[in-house]
Amino acid sequence: MKYLILGNGVAGVTAAETIRQFDPAGDITMIGDESFPPYSRPMISLLLEGSISSDKLPIRSSGFYDEFKIQPVLGHRVTGIDIANRTVTTGRATYGFDKLLIATGADPRPVKTDGLTLGNISYMRTQAHVRTMLEGLDGARRALVLGGGLVGFKAAYGLLRRGLDVTMLIRSGYPLSMQVDREAGMMIRDELVRHGLDVRVDLEALAFEGNGTVEAALLSDGSRLPCDMVVIGKGVLPALSFVPHDRIKIDLGIVVDAHMETSVSGIFAAGDVAEYVDIARNTPWVNAIWPEAVSQGRIAGTNMAGRRVAYRGSLSRNVIRIFDMDIMAGGVVNPPPDALYKTTVYKNPQRKIYRKLVFQGDALVGMVMVNDIEQGGVLLSTIQSRTPLTIPREALIDLGLNYGRLLWRSVAVV
Amino acid sequence: MKQVVVQPERCVGCMQCMPACATVHSRTGQLYTAVMETPLPKPRVHVGAGLTGEGFPNRCRHCDPAPCMMACLPGAIFRDGKFDTVLIDPDKCINCASCAMTCPFGVIRYHLDTFAPPGKTVAVKCDNCIVRQENGQVPACVEACMSGALTFEEPSVAMKRKTDAVTRSVSAGMEKEAQPPGFVLLNAVRKSQVELRTAKIEALNR
Repeated sequence: MKYLILGNGVAGVTAAETIRQFDPAGDITMIGDESFPPYSRPMISLLLEGSISSDKLPIRSSGFYDEFKIQPVLGHRVTGIDIANRTVTTGRATYGFDKLLIATGADPRPVKTDGLTLGNISYMRTQAHVRTMLEGLDGARRALVLGGGLVGFKAAYGLLRRGLDVTMLIRSGYPLSMQVDREAGMMIRDELVRHGLDVRVDLEALAFEGNGTVEAALLSDGSRLPCDMVVIGKGVLPALSFVPHDRIKIDLGIVVDAHMETSVSGIFAAGDVAEYVDIARNTPWVNAIWPEAVSQGRIAGTNMAGRRVAYRGSLSRNVIRIFDMDIMAGGVVNPPPDALYKTTVYKNPQRKIYRKLVFQGDALVGMVMVNDIEQGGVLLSTIQSRTPLTIPREALIDLGLNYGRLLWRSVAVV
Repeated sequence: MKQVVVQPERCVGCMQCMPACATVHSRTGQLYTAVMETPLPKPRVHVGAGLTGEGFPNRCRHCDPAPCMMACLPGAIFRDGKFDTVLIDPDKCINCASCAMTCPFGVIRYHLDTFAPPGKTVAVKCDNCIVRQENGQVPACVEACMSGALTFEEPSVAMKRKTDAVTRSVSAGMEKEAQPPGFVLLNAVRKSQVELRTAKIEALNR
């Protein structure tokens, strides 16, 4: 059996390991456009921050490919799939397959701004991006970050920790507007501002100016912001330009079923490039987060190796530590004003603790926690399993929450 | 292979498993001196309070596959094959809390630790007392538990015992097995208070 995996990220790596676990003999080839061995993408922000060195990034040992008998093809980007002949081409070479996994991840959403080619302007998606940023860090005093989402947020935090003055341009009133609600978002914003971040709302960068490297940005309110480093974090788009749209069903991402299989039999997709049902939203969605890539890679690999297992769906979730504040959130955190959703809130201002739970009937569909986050996984897993919660909501939200409370009335004394 | 088996209904909430666990994960290994160590040794088993104040001994299940191991960003969580135990390497851990986000049981804590690099907050959880097991001892929490809520046995033996108990409970003509005296009274008043309150809230929610 010839297995071909497009992508060298954690979805592809996990799929390859899973396939090898079930199929000791099959051929496994992995094609990745980055030349680095598989690494932890979320950790590149720590590289920027300076809290880790680049040798901490790899997620597998140097002997990984040999150990799992995988043929790696690194530094090559796939340009097309020939479904009829079951081949994939990188423009340099062609590779045949029996089973194909598309795990090519996502690329930064491009912006159209004048002066984008000036030095020290970068997206932050790859290890290469951050290494280039680090080269420009010496002598940099003032950074501009476009976007208040996960990438922009992490970039701003990392650069603040490096001692730069940082200005962040965001559209909503608070950062991480897709991850948290207004209350938590304002707590996060206040914590960042307390540590020196300059947050500006409803402003766009219209152009960048400079001589070789960036020196200033022209903003949409007419002002000119001097800056010598720019990071663009305006979201990511699934990397699927090489996928034949007429044969493989595509929405925002590559649409897959519960077996991570696309509309073409024998072709699978997993990770940031794939789209399946979101458990909390109950609608097709792309949840481009690390733990999803791992789970989906594992399910895809299992199915590719011939074992039919079903994926229950993805769930958006994130955990972040900044300065003295910890945040964990997932699912539907900003429910529409609909009688179907019931919200419970707990606040402890002295300890800066905030919790919000969003219910749909008896099932939890969303949660936000600021500080005291250790029990967050208990709540998130009930969202994933769609467990109806039959205990009082106060028992679920207060600081004494622990797994044992979920079993009340279920533990029979025999 | 023997494993720690938890029967939460037998827990009386005495919490002795916790100092026992912390002590064996200290530098000096004795309670008297452990309480004076820096960093202060902490337990890996956590007795949670239920709705009626009853105890629930919560420890890592060493899941297979382990969600924490899959979620870990730097790959600090791994499986020890000999004891079928999931372990966290404190050197690789970056304290990102991805493991806590994914653990369905909430058994991971973050703190300074005897076995971590000094000054570094890391993820800490039950290690199945592998060192004690190597020496032919049972895990510390099991040794401390006097009510039989934590035992160290072959899972098949524990499951057979449970199967037999369930069978007996549905056998016609069998007398109900006597519980230790006082067990029923334990939390009885609080139990009925919570039941009443819950019934009231449910009625309001309807």
